[in-house]
Amino acid sequence: MTTKTEAIGNKVRIGAWWNRAALRFSRDHKENKGWGIFSGKEGFLFAVILLILWQIIAVVSHQKLRFLFPSLPVVAGALWVSLPELLRGTWSSFLILVPGYLAAVAVGVAAGIVTATTGWLGRAFMPFARVVAPVPPTIYIPYAIALIATFRGASIVVVFIGAFWPVFLNTAAGAAAVPAQYRDDARILGLSRFDTLRKVVLPASLPQSFSGMAVGLALSFIMLTVAELFGANAGLGRFVQYYADYADYPRMVAGIVYTGLITFLSMAILERIRKRALFWVR
Amino acid sequence: MTFQSSIAPQAGTEYGLRVESASFGYGDAVVLQDIELAVREGEFLSLLGPSGSGKTTLLRLLAGMAKVTSGRIVCRGKAVEGPGIDRGMVFQDYSLFPWMTLRENILLAIDRVNPKRSRLEKQELAEEYLGLVGLADAREKYPFELSGGMQQRGAIARALALGSSFLLMDEPFGALDPLTRMKLQDLLIDIWGHSDPPRTVVFVTHDVDEALYLGDRVVILGASPGRIIAEYEVDFPRPRSRAGFFKAAGFRELRDRVLEVFRQDAIKQLEYGDEVKSAGEGI
Repeated sequence: MTTKTEAIGNKVRIGAWWNRAALRFSRDHKENKGWGIFSGKEGFLFAVILLILWQIIAVVSHQKLRFLFPSLPVVAGALWVSLPELLRGTWSSFLILVPGYLAAVAVGVAAGIVTATTGWLGRAFMPFARVVAPVPPTIYIPYAIALIATFRGASIVVVFIGAFWPVFLNTAAGAAAVPAQYRDDARILGLSRFDTLRKVVLPASLPQSFSGMAVGLALSFIMLTVAELFGANAGLGRFVQYYADYADYPRMVAGIVYTGLITFLSMAILERIRKRALFWVR
Repeated sequence: MTFQSSIAPQAGTEYGLRVESASFGYGDAVVLQDIELAVREGEFLSLLGPSGSGKTTLLRLLAGMAKVTSGRIVCRGKAVEGPGIDRGMVFQDYSLFPWMTLRENILLAIDRVNPKRSRLEKQELAEEYLGLVGLADAREKYPFELSGGMQQRGAIARALALGSSFLLMDEPFGALDPLTRMKLQDLLIDIWGHSDPPRTVVFVTHDVDEALYLGDRVVILGASPGRIIAEYEVDFPRPRSRAGFFKAAGFRELRDRVLEVFRQDAIKQLEYGDEVKSAGEGI
């Protein structure tokens, strides 16, 4: 049981976090006036208004739309009840997402660096990359499922394709634009090609690589959930699809909220890693 | 290649680095024209010139970072085809890798020269070189935690760690405040003077006082196209004391002569510049 002070403590913490985020935004945008007592808390205010609006719509439409807009307590209840199932789904989804995404990062970074620094390889591969990269990766899903025997294998490949291109293209752009100063240094030090790539080009293009990884991670989640809508028997996308089929909208909305939260958390973890790895960027 | 063999001059070679009727340009633009220059083994040569005189380009040619369009560069009797660790270079912009600590930066050079030594020996060598430039205490720091002067000390330590006989320095103190600059000038002269076997330094600058105070010899480049317009021996005994040197009548006379050469070249530039401007180029 939560005591009153604990609950308040949590509220204060979340409020403080939200305010910090809002403050960062207003600092970046040099705009601190015009909202009176809500100055600096607009973000928090917006979220509260959004929740209140949702609740009003839920209550008003309750009779007519049969829980198409479940009210907040109902969603919270559904979330609580479904939590074990959602956690199992998360595990199942991550068994697809993590291998696919990590493979895309490893191959994308390595291939990007080598392609951008090898003349003939760049000339051979980049035109192909420019044509293929913009193709929406979701389009490959049916074919991947047809080609690969297991659903999990097909989904991993599909996540890989989705995350690979942004990682590859950003890394290649970064590796092609390594400041002349660093390249000169590597030459003066007489570094071998391998050492130059590993110790100079890789770190120097890491800022761009991380931009690619962030886009790639967002795309991975899209690929994952869409693939699960097609033919999974577990997972986050499957959860939402399943309860939508049975018109259990409270659970469906809970699934959407939960998936959003997981995505946000994953992005936050990546951001943390980025900050750590790029400590030297000023 | 070991530390020793890259340092020791070959018997019978009078000149360390020679530039033989070398020219360099991009397309029609001539950056350097017919450069003849001999850098003596063990000397401190100042390359002085206004911006646009191609002094940095000349240094890059010596380093093997750029290729002459005609003529050739010879290092101890062998034509220069590319960069080599017998010719270390220090750039104007702080050139340490920002993702490595000072020690890791130095280790990069040490790994290259002494690949077979143990990890511990390499660490000790790195610390030795950092001690030489007064950075022993900052060895675990990253470049962004250091002042410009300290970063440049680190760059010098890295060039020393390469064990190069020739140190090519491209306005290494150009971005430093006057006091730090003086300290580093004295540090450089001290290290150079105590090098055993002797090192040869080619020092590019556009600061007349710096060129004269540091150099055994000053070679002056003129602009458009870059070419050698004058050359002076700086016949002052070492160690030079800063106070005595800048007050000496001989220094003042030399300085006036150098500035006059500069002025003549600048006047020519301005006249030539008017012609160019009317054609709408070079603006």
